[in-house]
Amino acid sequence: VRAWADVRRESSLMQLLSRLPLFGLGRLVTRKSWLWQHDEPCYWRLTSVRPDYTAQNLEHGKAWGVLTFKGRTESEVREIGQVMYHDWRLVPKHEEAAFTAFTPAPPEDAPRCVPYPPLLRAMILAERQKRGDACTEEPMLNLEQTRVHPWDYPAKQEVKKKAKATPV
Amino acid sequence: MAAPIVRRWFLVARKVPLPPLFLAGERGLLSAAYVDSHKWEAREKEHCHLADLASLMDKTYERKLPFSSLTISRFVDNISSREEVDHAEYYLYKFRHSPNCWYLRDWTIHTWIRQCLKYGAQDKALYTLVNKVQYGIFPDNFTFNLLMDYFIKKENYKDALTVVFEIMMQEAFEVPSTQLLSLHVLYHCLAKKTDCSWEEERNFGASLLLPGLKQKNSVGLSSQLYGYALLGKVEVQRGLRAVYHNMPLLWQPGYLDRALQVMEMVASSPDDGKLCAEALAMLDKTLNTLTAPAPAASEEQPQEGEDSRGSEDLVEQLDVEETEQSKLPRYLERFKDLHSKLEALGRVESESLLALTTQLIKEQLPTYEAEDIAAYEQKLQQWHLERVHLIRREEEQRERAKQEYEARRAAKASA
Repeated sequence: VRAWADVRRESSLMQLLSRLPLFGLGRLVTRKSWLWQHDEPCYWRLTSVRPDYTAQNLEHGKAWGVLTFKGRTESEVREIGQVMYHDWRLVPKHEEAAFTAFTPAPPEDAPRCVPYPPLLRAMILAERQKRGDACTEEPMLNLEQTRVHPWDYPAKQEVKKKAKATPV
Repeated sequence: MAAPIVRRWFLVARKVPLPPLFLAGERGLLSAAYVDSHKWEAREKEHCHLADLASLMDKTYERKLPFSSLTISRFVDNISSREEVDHAEYYLYKFRHSPNCWYLRDWTIHTWIRQCLKYGAQDKALYTLVNKVQYGIFPDNFTFNLLMDYFIKKENYKDALTVVFEIMMQEAFEVPSTQLLSLHVLYHCLAKKTDCSWEEERNFGASLLLPGLKQKNSVGLSSQLYGYALLGKVEVQRGLRAVYHNMPLLWQPGYLDRALQVMEMVASSPDDGKLCAEALAMLDKTLNTLTAPAPAASEEQPQEGEDSRGSEDLVEQLDVEETEQSKLPRYLERFKDLHSKLEALGRVESESLLALTTQLIKEQLPTYEAEDIAAYEQKLQQWHLERVHLIRREEEQRERAKQEYEARRAAKASA
């Protein structure tokens, strides 16, 4: 039910790009779902577009770009996923500076550490005892090391395609 | 007896060096040097037979291979009559729907528009420009200026307005000469028109806003104000989505708020920027129209708005505590305060916007034109170099293909 309203209201990425010179190279595009979900700027900066020339209004195709999600910019060019979803918006040129302005929150000084769950803690202590390690320090889990992406972080497109092949 | 005649001759003689703007009859805004097509005509072009190129393109298309951008540029270069303009349009459409559609060159687009204007096919040029999705025509600033000036000369302000809306859609208001010309066309049309549909209001608003943001003078500030006022009116009457969908505008609500912020900025800045009385009157009229007749507006809404407003209200106003409608009385108060403050500071310009723009054009356009012409000449040379490079690459590829073919034939003969 939610998808129908979106299909009526928004447009797909190639529908937006077919109206731009050079198919919108170097422009910023966002997704409406990101705008609603996150406060920080999330956008793709387009580096390469390959439209599907058999389409009537050139409104299908593939695109590649550099992702900036919640203010953090990636360093590599990736294929843009979910291009056909009716979810995309183009950022106007005069608003680009205001849109991308982002001051990251100051990092906390001490890394956050949390005690392990009881079974895992018992296992670690048992292993220490087996090794003869006479350390009495409480085992702590460092939360800053593993960075968990939010659920709508765009996944890598190339990985999806290659996984299917099985040897004959 | 002789003295008055000599004096009259002096007066006449002093009038003789007329500025190149005012030719007899057709009056465009750009000078003759800008519109002059001698440099373009004098460029080196390959003379090919159009029928050969057409048959080549048809054969490549049948074999399901794409034809190169060089072929289509040669075709457009060698147009010599009105029918061939139609043929070229067909091949441009085919090129856009081929795998090479990204590679349509700047010089091909420029040549296409020039040829259309030369052979009197300006309606065709406009048609391909409006259907840019199907034809891939995205001209640069110089070409846009030429096209607009052509329509201004013919007093065809309706078509010139369409060109301005296209520039707005492509967000091509980088060069000052384009900004000035489009503002002139816009104010000319606004002076004539009394009532517009909401789509026209929205297009006018956006096309006034974008060049207004770039111009740092009273014309620019007044255009920004006028643009924000029109967009705010469409926003309150039709919803925010109607404003930003398929337009180069932001999806944050509060366009009337931004109009008032422009006024505050002018009132508090130490520069000499002034706001035009016309633009302020427009904002005043908009706010009054929107605040006063609530029953008339709400009667229309239930009739049309079931589909459009129902789901919109649900969906878009999730985070908004109060709607624009409820903020209108406060906007009206703020506007009255700021208006009186601006008048007290003497920042209200009483001349009409069209007169101001014409004055600005007269002062500044020649400098911008000179810059544009210099840039154009450089671009012509760059295009020439690129074309030479492409021709050389095509010849090399043909050589290589021939050699491979010879090698394969020799291998087959010997086997």
